[in-house]
Amino acid sequence: MKNRKRSGGNAAFLAPLYLFTVVFLIGPFVYMIVLSFLTRAESWGVVNEFTFSNYTKILKPLYLSTFSRSLKLALLVTFLIALTGYPFGYYMAKLPPKRRARLLMLVMIPFYTSSLMRMYGWIIIFRANGVLDKLLLALHVIERPLKLLYTYPAVVVGMVYALLPFMMLSVYSSVEKMDWSLVEAARDMGASPTKAFFTVTFPLTMPGLMTGVILSFIPSMGLFFVADILGGNKIVLVGNVIQEQLMKVHDWPFAAALSVVLMLMMTVMIWLYRKITGSSEMEGMI
Amino acid sequence: MKKSLTLILVFVLCLSLPGISVAAHADNETVTLYTWAEMFPPEVLNAFEEETGYKVNYVNFDFDETMLAKLEAAGGGDYDVIIADDYIIERAVELGLLQKLDKDKISNYSNINPIYQGQFYDPQDEYTVPYGAGVQTITYNPALVSEPVNGYADLWKEEFKDNIALTANYRVMIGMALKILGYSYNTDNLDEIREAGNLLYELAPNIRLIKDDFIQDDLISGEVSAAVMYTSQVTMAKLEDPSIEIVYPQEGIGFGIMGMFVPSKAPNADGAHAFIDYILRPEVSAQCFEWLGYYCTNKAADDLIADEFKEFLVLPEEFKMEDMEMIGNISNDAASLQDEIWTEFKTLCGQA
Repeated sequence: MKNRKRSGGNAAFLAPLYLFTVVFLIGPFVYMIVLSFLTRAESWGVVNEFTFSNYTKILKPLYLSTFSRSLKLALLVTFLIALTGYPFGYYMAKLPPKRRARLLMLVMIPFYTSSLMRMYGWIIIFRANGVLDKLLLALHVIERPLKLLYTYPAVVVGMVYALLPFMMLSVYSSVEKMDWSLVEAARDMGASPTKAFFTVTFPLTMPGLMTGVILSFIPSMGLFFVADILGGNKIVLVGNVIQEQLMKVHDWPFAAALSVVLMLMMTVMIWLYRKITGSSEMEGMI
Repeated sequence: MKKSLTLILVFVLCLSLPGISVAAHADNETVTLYTWAEMFPPEVLNAFEEETGYKVNYVNFDFDETMLAKLEAAGGGDYDVIIADDYIIERAVELGLLQKLDKDKISNYSNINPIYQGQFYDPQDEYTVPYGAGVQTITYNPALVSEPVNGYADLWKEEFKDNIALTANYRVMIGMALKILGYSYNTDNLDEIREAGNLLYELAPNIRLIKDDFIQDDLISGEVSAAVMYTSQVTMAKLEDPSIEIVYPQEGIGFGIMGMFVPSKAPNADGAHAFIDYILRPEVSAQCFEWLGYYCTNKAADDLIADEFKEFLVLPEEFKMEDMEMIGNISNDAASLQDEIWTEFKTLCGQA
């Protein structure tokens, strides 16, 4: 990849992308960092006075515990996604092409509706006397309606559901392009199917898993609307605090500081993850 | 495969993002109306267009804060008529983004119910015309509750364990505790706010959910037995299930007003005034409030409201102004402390 020569024409094609990145990614990012050091105005907006107070405020136990709670939830959600998404992606990649295409389609179809709508769908399933309650009552599994909605497990289910396809698709793409002759070679040399999987297949599909983990871990720290809708606002995540600072308290600098810390935290987590797993390549990303 | 997959991912991600509103366009034939979705029945807007020849360009926002940010960015231009909440109007007036109304162009101005005039965001009534008011109301399902509820303090009872729904507005909810203690909604005294916070924390085990939208559904479905909600939600709950009881808390009533105003550099100020005047007609107002479900702010329209809605749309006779208090803006320190209490309270609710 590195040695491939690029012709001059490529640069012209890439220019809009670079421009887009600078204007819509780096620009807002720099703006946010600057904002996080400014002072909140008495009525509306910010004043240009430099301060660290937005960062020292994060050190209050209230906000630190919010960070640790978000982190715990994100780790749990990512773990569950990896546990269910990996086998699914693996299975999908090994199907005959026609059935594979169909299954891929089924994975994608829910994305045609807004993620918000899909969360409201879960309300219908979970609510008192909702679909799940009625089913369990009819099957005599339970005797009275369960209170499933507005609980921690409901938020976990919602997040896993929202982010699972990212894991499925990246694992799928990794498994699909794998060189199966390597697995055959391992088997020929006397490795059991399990051993061949863990010594050959799994390491080779690591980039896919890695991408899936990152694509699900990062959003799960910030999906505040899932905690709002399925958690009845009682599961307070960093995303919820940021949203509240922006929309209700009007403390933009504090919201910016929280966002900066959140991003730093995620960068460290990803760096750690790469360090531990030893993988540097990401499937379908870089 | 690798590249195309990435592209598909990006594409579907974009599809699932929440919608982005379209920018306004302006000329002398168009009245650009900027407010929340579904604030007017479509037939009222159509009739206004037909009668006056103006075209209504209805632009939505989700939150007051979005509105103010956009209006500020537009320097008080782009929009002709805006409807938003009282507290944000006060900020917009401070920023000089409103123009004084030309009352000569609003022949129906005298129809406004004076109860809703002279409030903190516009003490001289120079800038705004009220369009609907709401009070915070306790509602409960009598079938699920053993004895009648009279005020906020009753919500702390053991029988409501895991059975109360609250709106997600920290000023209203901490205000509830402030009212029980006999303080003002708008106190800047941090000790009073802390005291209210400690009282609120004791309510945590009773809270089943906190949210702004569709809270009435949870009361009707039996997910909760009592809820604190806004007037439009009370109206919807009562229409759906007439057995639901409404309580105006004995500790005091907090209320809010939505106001119509014309931005300082409105492209079509004449059209804006014509629109406000049209909406203030008694028969048009009655039609609007039946659709909207908020308290009618047009005195001349009160009698025209259909009987089935009257109970929720016309302010009860026994309401005294001295029992009511508007929720206004408070100092930054007070607001920050209230927000910290609120975050702590929500966390406690999640652990209870």
